[in-house]
Amino acid sequence: MLGALGAALAKDLRLLLRDRIGLVFLTVAPMIVISVAGVSLASLYGADPRGATAYVLPLVDEDGGPIGAAIRERLEHESAITLRLTPSRAEALALLERREAGAALVIPAGTSRAQEEGRGSTLLLLTDPVKYLEIANLRGLVQELRHAIEKEARRRAAARLEEGRDAAERTRKEFARAAGEAQHAIDAFRAALTQLRTAAEERSRAGRAGAERQLRDGLARASAERRREVAERVSAELAPVRDFLAALSERQRAFEDWLARVRVQAGTLADRMPAPPAPPELPLELQRLAADGPEALIDRLAGPAEPPIELPPFPEIDLPAVPQPPRVELPPLPEVPAVALPGTIEIEESSATGAPRRLNTFDQNVPGFSVTFLLLGMLLGVSLALLDERDWGTFERLRSMPAPFSTVLVAKLLSRVLVGVTQMVLLFAVGRATFGISLGPEPWALLLPTTGIVFAGTAFGLVVAASATTREAVLPLGSIVIVTMAAVGGCWWPIDLEPRWMRSVALAFPTTWAMAAYNDLMIRRQSLRAALWPTAVLYGYGSLYLALGLWLFRRRELRGG
Amino acid sequence: MARDGWIAAPRVSVYAAVDTAIEVDALEKRYGARQALGGVSFSVARGEIVALLGPNGAGKSTTLSILATILSADAGTVRVGGHRLPAEARAARRTIGYVPQREALYPPLTARENLRFFARMAELDPATSRSASARVLEIVALDGRADEPVAGFSLGMRRRLNLACGMIHRPRVLLLDEPTVGVDPQSRERIFEAVAGLASEGAAILYSTHYMEEVERLCSRVVLLDEGKIVAAGTVEELVAGIQSLPSIRLTTARPLPSQWLSKLEAARVVRHGAGDLEIEVAGLADVPAVLLAAVQAGGEILDMRLHRPNLADVFFTMTGRALRDERSEAESR
Repeated sequence: MLGALGAALAKDLRLLLRDRIGLVFLTVAPMIVISVAGVSLASLYGADPRGATAYVLPLVDEDGGPIGAAIRERLEHESAITLRLTPSRAEALALLERREAGAALVIPAGTSRAQEEGRGSTLLLLTDPVKYLEIANLRGLVQELRHAIEKEARRRAAARLEEGRDAAERTRKEFARAAGEAQHAIDAFRAALTQLRTAAEERSRAGRAGAERQLRDGLARASAERRREVAERVSAELAPVRDFLAALSERQRAFEDWLARVRVQAGTLADRMPAPPAPPELPLELQRLAADGPEALIDRLAGPAEPPIELPPFPEIDLPAVPQPPRVELPPLPEVPAVALPGTIEIEESSATGAPRRLNTFDQNVPGFSVTFLLLGMLLGVSLALLDERDWGTFERLRSMPAPFSTVLVAKLLSRVLVGVTQMVLLFAVGRATFGISLGPEPWALLLPTTGIVFAGTAFGLVVAASATTREAVLPLGSIVIVTMAAVGGCWWPIDLEPRWMRSVALAFPTTWAMAAYNDLMIRRQSLRAALWPTAVLYGYGSLYLALGLWLFRRRELRGG
Repeated sequence: MARDGWIAAPRVSVYAAVDTAIEVDALEKRYGARQALGGVSFSVARGEIVALLGPNGAGKSTTLSILATILSADAGTVRVGGHRLPAEARAARRTIGYVPQREALYPPLTARENLRFFARMAELDPATSRSASARVLEIVALDGRADEPVAGFSLGMRRRLNLACGMIHRPRVLLLDEPTVGVDPQSRERIFEAVAGLASEGAAILYSTHYMEEVERLCSRVVLLDEGKIVAAGTVEELVAGIQSLPSIRLTTARPLPSQWLSKLEAARVVRHGAGDLEIEVAGLADVPAVLLAAVQAGGEILDMRLHRPNLADVFFTMTGRALRDERSEAESR
């Protein structure tokens, strides 16, 4: 059985290798279509047109001002377009009529002035409505350009506004500082006045006190001088008395000394000696008169020193009050409002999966058209090969031979699977080498949807072969179904361009699931896990087709069809 | 069903128990409302070449397809190589070599590649496949072109290769469906040799054809089918004898012969009379000279003379008639 299977497999592969046209169809044709589609549909996928694919954009600068210059400068550096400076609208329209361009941009006269004066202005985009995509791209480009210019103008205005605000803020602060300084000067002046007044008061008090003191001192000195003079005269008057009293006292002490010596000499007799006569007692007044000094004598005689003279109060000097200058009460200076132009709303696009934002067109086209040609190849490879076998009569012979007929069928399907996988691998390799397509983070994971769609396509070829009895029926039937599957399934354009209901319908096609897996792996750069479910669905469809195909095939063969 | 004046078809039901390789008894097959086979019975012994004759749509290909296990019968008993069909189809296939009417070949492959592939499908091992391919290539005289793609072969070469593919595994039963259609005499001769050679090795061969001379030359027995039934069976001689047809002479004369010119010969009678063109039926070949002499004596200048002896074609037309069968044939091919 295995030997027969191997022989049948080798036979089918050999048949394929002998089919030069078939090989071309499987390999070269898809490469050509992929190249053509990739380049021609680049804009459809949102890729940047470059070089020969760049759009021609006639530019009519009727303004001649800075806005026009800015637009021209920016467009000249835009690689997605080829700028063609056109002197007049008429010539721009002529270019559109000759279909050399899909749109032309006119900068009307006065645009710059309007901008400078703060008025609005309008750029004119002349369009050829047939070139929808080109217009859409150019419109986007012009919108970006307009946005950039407006952003720059807003930035400049904001800068000027900020400068004015800074100047106002500086002035406000300068004024506040000046007011502060004025207040400070007033306060200093007032303090100086207060100080002067205090000093005047001090001087007044000091002068008054000095005058009073001098007056009192003069009076005291005069009083003391008179008392001294009185004392001196009293002393002079009392001097003989005192001298007598002093001599008397001296003679009394000499008597006593004498008496003492007499008593000493009288020895034992001293006791017997009579007491001398007692000197007369000095009158007390005389003693005090002799004893007191002139001051006390004056005080006693003339009374104590004269009480201070009660001076009349000095008149108070009534200094004028220090004037209270009003405070510099500035109304609170309002803060310079932070006037700002409304900010621009920028759009930052970020891939949710970490994949590059810009799509390589061929990341979509290579798998898409590879799947298309794979399915067409399967249609031709399986269904036409089965029809060939029937037409050649080999099936008739094989069904009479010992090797199970199912072996022949399995070998035929297996050979197509091998060829299909090889075809896909080859196309992806060429896509990688030629167009730099992404193979995702795990390139080998691409084998999952590849084997899945190959299996489903092979089994579908069996369904077509079993459904269509003639070659003439196979091509239209299979082609219609495959073309529909490919188109609706997102092989030719992003499936998101389709309406929702069509996307729902597309889930019934294996192409949809294959493309979903390829997009996840190649464009969204997801891991193997993303391809598991689509691959399982593909194998499910393949199994369904296989069962249906075998049933139809067996039914027809048994009927001898 | 025997037609009026036709020979009732004998029911072939006698088998050589040991040597019989093909046994068919009361075989029936219907395609929808149309009955393709209605109780066909015959056998083919080992080493025997039996012709399966019949007009288009008679049921020849259906019979061969059932014997080749491609179709299943609605009723009847079929044994091939001793294996009952369809129950033992797999075993039966090991004994069968089937040569379909179309050249069942892969045109892009070479003759050798075709042979090796079919040898492998016949469950020969690779080495045996190689040697068997070389052997049959020599038999069919294609060893010099063995490595050329079949697409470039002439019809005769393809027919020979078609036969070689059917006999590569030395089948005990060879089923041939009009193997010589459209081939040149040389290829036909080589095919005959190959078939005869295989029969001489003991293979039972059922040979479907329209060519009577091939049957007369190659086949020991004939099974004549019409409308799904056997209308005659036996050796060629038996069948010819069975229709009781007489030899005839076709004369072309320069001038018309007078009436009664043949009245003196009782063993001969004119069966068709035209201007200068006559067909005369004679009782035996010995009567032919007398007829010619009578014509000359009657003043007829004989320009051409053709003698017709009863043959298988006469049997064929006698048993199946001369009506065209295109419509029925197309229906069967569908």
